[in-house]
Amino acid sequence: MITEKELIGKLRELRQIRPSKDWVVLTKNRILGQEEKIELTPFSFWKPALATVTAFGILFGIFAFAQSSLPGDLLYPIKKITEKAQAVFVSETEKPQASLELANKRLEELTKIAETNQVKNLAPAINEFQASVSEAAKNLSRIDATSSDPVVVKRFVEQAKNIEKKAKEAKSLGVVIEDEELEELQEASNKLELGLLVSVLKNMISDLENRTLTEKQEEILSQMRELAEEGEYSEALELYLINQ
Amino acid sequence: MANLRKVFSKIYDQYIDKIYRFIFLKVNSQEVAQDLCSETFLRTWERFSQGKGNPIENPQAFLYQTARNLVIDHYREKGKAQVVSVEFTPIIDPREDLEAEALRSSDLRTIRVALAELKEDYQNVIIWYYLDDLPISEVAELLDRSEEATRVLLHRALKALKNELKQS
Repeated sequence: MITEKELIGKLRELRQIRPSKDWVVLTKNRILGQEEKIELTPFSFWKPALATVTAFGILFGIFAFAQSSLPGDLLYPIKKITEKAQAVFVSETEKPQASLELANKRLEELTKIAETNQVKNLAPAINEFQASVSEAAKNLSRIDATSSDPVVVKRFVEQAKNIEKKAKEAKSLGVVIEDEELEELQEASNKLELGLLVSVLKNMISDLENRTLTEKQEEILSQMRELAEEGEYSEALELYLINQ
Repeated sequence: MANLRKVFSKIYDQYIDKIYRFIFLKVNSQEVAQDLCSETFLRTWERFSQGKGNPIENPQAFLYQTARNLVIDHYREKGKAQVVSVEFTPIIDPREDLEAEALRSSDLRTIRVALAELKEDYQNVIIWYYLDDLPISEVAELLDRSEEATRVLLHRALKALKNELKQS
């Protein structure tokens, strides 16, 4: 005869009755699974705001990544779009500076391509550079050196010369850059340089006119005026410096 | 909704073994137990997900009640005929220690058969108190009886089981 304690012990052994694990998982998935799967796909359970933020993040990432692309690359048009968008916010007075910087950037890209021998990117890079140089030349030629800040004008001239110099270096690497645009830039920068000289000279003459001068000095001043009228600005300046 | 699913997932994990065992001991068939058990949880989930606020106050009571109803329906449909003989029903799925299992299983089968012969209230009170380890208060709640009446029922159930075993 089985005792109560033994009976209870045996009953407790019935606890080992268990469903198979596979069935448990399967059944759970059948009841909750389908909806759970939907839950796991991105965006659907993310709040729309988060999805928007993520989308912007990805877009921003592409734009940021595109900034290091080179002409002929897949993302290069995005870089151009970014630059164009930035150009919208550039004021008329800042345009020459911006276009010079852009031309410099194009030249750096071109040099990089030439140095790493990326043949397929070379032709588009040259085109981009020439277009940017032409744009810079156009912007520089619009500047009236006589009415502008001489320091700023001087800086433009230096930058233009720097580009010309680097372009020559690129040519020495075997890059075929047409002279036309570079000449335009050179012309514009020469004109600016001259304008700069004229404005300096004009300032000087008007300064001298306001002073009390000796006879000799008066004579020099009138000679300077003559030279300036004849377009001999350098000589006029020289005359002043010699007699200083 | 995602939160509801999480809560229900926990309830499922907590009760799946118990409900399965509860049903299995009554129907003595793995197949039928699986069917009725998944139906129990599916109905509970449907009820649970449709309810607003606090969907089901006492999931344990709801699950056992649903399982009981399904088992009753099952026997009603089958004319109380058991689908698979108890003798051929494995207690659990095949495991590695089959030999050890075989030694025990004949003993356990006897008690299983005896338990299945008891009336429903006796079965329930034994399963809940001795197998599920529920306190008397909870068993009383599930049975909708007083604790005292539950103790009496438990005592009688154990006695009835002993008698069944003596007969077998």
